[in-house]
Amino acid sequence: MSAPTSGRGQIARWGLNVYAALGLIYLFVPIAWIIWFSFNQPAGRYNIVWQRFTLDNWSDPFANSDLTGAFVESLKIAAISTSIATVLGSLIAVALSRYSFRGASGLNLFLVLPLTTPEIVLGSSLATLFFDWDVSRGFTTVIIAHVMFQVSFVALTVRARVRGFDWTLELAAQDLGATPMRTFWKITFPLILPGILAAALLSFALSIDDFIITLFNAGSLSTFPLYINGSFRVQFPPQANVLATMVLVASVGLLMVGVVRSSRRNASDR
Amino acid sequence: MSAADAEHDREPARASTHRDELVGLVALIAAGVLIAAVGMRLLTGPLATLAVAGLLAIVATLVVMAIAGGPQARRRLAPYGLLKPGILWLALFYLAPLFTLARESLSTLPSRFAVQAEFDWSIGNYTQAFRDFGPQFTRGFAYAAAATVLCIAIGYPLAYVIAFRGGRWRNLLLGLVVLPFFTSYLIRTIAWSSLLADSGPIVGAIDGLRLTSVFEALQIMDNDRLINTPAAVIGGLTYNFLPFMILPIYVSLEKINPALVEAAKDLYSPAPSAFRRIVLPLSLPGVFAGTLLTFIPAAGDFINAEYLGNPNTTMIGNSIQDQFLVQNDRPLAAAMSFVLMAVITVAVFVYTKFLGTEELS
Amino acid sequence: MTSSDRPRPPFDRRQFLRRSSAFGAAGLSLPALLAACGGDDDEGASTGATGGTDETTGATSPGTGGASSPGGTGGDELFFENWPEYIDLTEDGATGTVDRFTEATGVAMRYTDAFNDNVEYFALIQPALGSGETIEPDIIAPTSWLAGRLITLGWVDKLPLDQVPNAANLRPDLQQPAWDPTGEYSLPWQTGLTGIAYNLDATGRELTRTEDLFDPAFRGKIGMLTEMRDTIGLILQHLGVDPSTITSFDEAAEAFEMLAQAKADGQIRAFTGNDYLDDLSTGNFAACIGWSGDVVQLALENPAVRFIIPEEGGNSWADTMVMPKGADSRDAAAEWMNFVYDPVQAAQITAYVQFVSPVAGVREEVAKLDPELAESPLLFPDEEMLSNVKGFANLGEDVEAEFDAAFSDIIGA
Repeated sequence: MSAPTSGRGQIARWGLNVYAALGLIYLFVPIAWIIWFSFNQPAGRYNIVWQRFTLDNWSDPFANSDLTGAFVESLKIAAISTSIATVLGSLIAVALSRYSFRGASGLNLFLVLPLTTPEIVLGSSLATLFFDWDVSRGFTTVIIAHVMFQVSFVALTVRARVRGFDWTLELAAQDLGATPMRTFWKITFPLILPGILAAALLSFALSIDDFIITLFNAGSLSTFPLYINGSFRVQFPPQANVLATMVLVASVGLLMVGVVRSSRRNASDR
Repeated sequence: MSAADAEHDREPARASTHRDELVGLVALIAAGVLIAAVGMRLLTGPLATLAVAGLLAIVATLVVMAIAGGPQARRRLAPYGLLKPGILWLALFYLAPLFTLARESLSTLPSRFAVQAEFDWSIGNYTQAFRDFGPQFTRGFAYAAAATVLCIAIGYPLAYVIAFRGGRWRNLLLGLVVLPFFTSYLIRTIAWSSLLADSGPIVGAIDGLRLTSVFEALQIMDNDRLINTPAAVIGGLTYNFLPFMILPIYVSLEKINPALVEAAKDLYSPAPSAFRRIVLPLSLPGVFAGTLLTFIPAAGDFINAEYLGNPNTTMIGNSIQDQFLVQNDRPLAAAMSFVLMAVITVAVFVYTKFLGTEELS
Repeated sequence: MTSSDRPRPPFDRRQFLRRSSAFGAAGLSLPALLAACGGDDDEGASTGATGGTDETTGATSPGTGGASSPGGTGGDELFFENWPEYIDLTEDGATGTVDRFTEATGVAMRYTDAFNDNVEYFALIQPALGSGETIEPDIIAPTSWLAGRLITLGWVDKLPLDQVPNAANLRPDLQQPAWDPTGEYSLPWQTGLTGIAYNLDATGRELTRTEDLFDPAFRGKIGMLTEMRDTIGLILQHLGVDPSTITSFDEAAEAFEMLAQAKADGQIRAFTGNDYLDDLSTGNFAACIGWSGDVVQLALENPAVRFIIPEEGGNSWADTMVMPKGADSRDAAAEWMNFVYDPVQAAQITAYVQFVSPVAGVREEVAKLDPELAESPLLFPDEEMLSNVKGFANLGEDVEAEFDAAFSDIIGA
């Protein structure tokens, strides 16, 4: 796009850039707070007012055993539910993009529905179902709930990623004598894997952070967000900031790996 | 596979439906309905066992058909087979719960502390929802709408700059936009409660710059307080849903052919005119998607109101949560949830129509 | 006359606790003997202290607690769910009551503070108890009205009072109360007073009346309790109505209107459960309705915090121990109740939590620990104090429903 040559145009252009930059900064203010306050040593039980800098929280991030326990539960739940949802969702995505069949558009709509339903409705309806069945709410029900919204998410994300995939590659392989199974594992799967992994990573993050749906379906189980919410009346330890920062750094790291690998692949493709 | 078959498979639409496809689709739908019916206890006891047996029979039949029918049939039935696990999961854990919730909303509790409600088609819960929670509904939608507008105001320019001026930094910038998403929603909100606290930096800055009375006049601050105000709640909603607005807008902006914009600038100068006539309409699908992804969850949110609000800023989400988890009045909570969904659906419908006519003109 | 004295210990609390634990230890032998005379209990065989009290939080996360999960405990651990800041802890060289109990009797104990608000807690246990299942805790400590409701619903068992000889030490005015006419289902844990807590730095002046809570200068800086009987009780007395004799909603309608108006005007920053202390300390609440012992404990750390019984009148209440239906550690529970009803042990608790003990004879014991504390009218109300505080009447179920509905309309959720 050619840059405007007039003075007013230049100012307007510059103004827009500054405005956008401010928007980006706005997005990061709380993140900066979270990281900064993970180095805080609060006077009381609430890590809300800055006292002084300390590395103690980072040297002993698991000091609060209840918080750590809840965090571990969140990780376990996320791992299990993401695995299940990735399988189910990828199957759906493959079905939608590889084949053209009757009912595809209706199915698309059906898949989008859980993502457009307010979480509070998703959570309370599942909880009502479990009440109805007399199933006590806990670990299993939380996993079921998470898989439910993750499946749609994974399916739609993978399908978007896989859209450009050239399915004729499969035909080529089969012309060369490969069985359908072999074709899938050797040709198709490796190529759609990045898309699947990206979707899995995102839905893992969704699961760890989920609050509303989990609140309704956890019973007395404590996950990371539930623990923070429940104990916020009494305390907010800096270890919470530390754990949150850890999750952030880990996610960033994984994303960067993905970005680097895909750009490397793009470069080699050329 | 022969070349003719390959040709056939690459055909986009099918004018007539092959028998296999029909069977596959019907089987999928039937399986979904059966499992949902069992899930919401429409069929119980022996009928339920029958339904499950029927389900297994359907799956078995499809498998047999696929094996016996040859590669063509397999190809046609394959998608339905792939879809089965995921769709069945959704049927059981998304559809069935919704129907159960609907049934609960038409039930009444036999006594004040009873645990199970009795289904009796009564609409008392709905009338109570409208009668007692009108303000919360209104506030929920008003705050969500305000947050959505703010998200567009902040998010559109950012998406624009990234899409058209990002160059090779695009992916990095997008990554930065998505980054906050990877920290806990709750902790982000708590961060705001600290930043906006009475003794926090922002109030300190406002007081220092002597802008307090300005902010109070604008109804943003209240008695030298920034937190526990409606402004804080709306601010929190805006912040938390901003990425959901930026990403769809970016996607639709990115698709626009830059050559098109160049041509428009040549035709319609000055540049803002080109923007208004070409870029803006083309980006509307993104704005539409972003609005949905922002407004719908925001309307049902209760966390921002809980952490950043006061007793006068409760949203419908707070009320539903309270009725369901504290007052243990699940039928009422169910009715309120459905009213929420109904209003959202209507709002989305109206919005779609509105955008549709815009595009026509 | 307002009672705004804060008990001032002659030395700081930690020193005090260290000294007093010596007294406590001396008193161990007698209750231990009495408890051992109880029937067979295999719990007596297990030794060792549990991690009973956690200094920062309960063993389970507050707000969820173990209450909502059905099923009893394993049977060898006594599980007591209580309110926060309601027992003396093991810290700074002093041994807390839970640990002293375990030392004395050998009964392992799990103590959590999962209570924040009675209505919230009831919602947690309702699904299980309502379906006839058991909940994890063996002893819980609801406020008297909730205990009354649980008794009426039949969701609690009779206490093993035959194994609790020290129950005879119960204050006469608490015996066979309105919420538990036979006295067989509940044993009070602590009683207390509801009044006004304020932060002098935030208010800039001393407060004396409930009316002060409605002062426009404090707009948006007032906290009130989600406990209906405390909030409405104070307002009723401000309007000249006696809450202890109320029988119908109409008598309280004006109080509800006043509260609704204050809320609509933006006077109230938040309605809280037991979690008002931090906001009070930081000044987020210039003033709030609060409970005597909590605020007095806080005042020891933050001198700007004061507690008063308002001139128009304050509330008195009791939190009482009940055993949910199906709780199985009955012998251990009996030992616990016997232990804490020994005036020597009860004095330890009172000296720390600064609430009004339900045990008779505590005053003399506290005098041995801290003579000045024994004179505090907030801990040992005199005639004048007692005449200025009222309990809340026992409401019939339908009337209670009206009150609750009107109140929950106002508190906004």
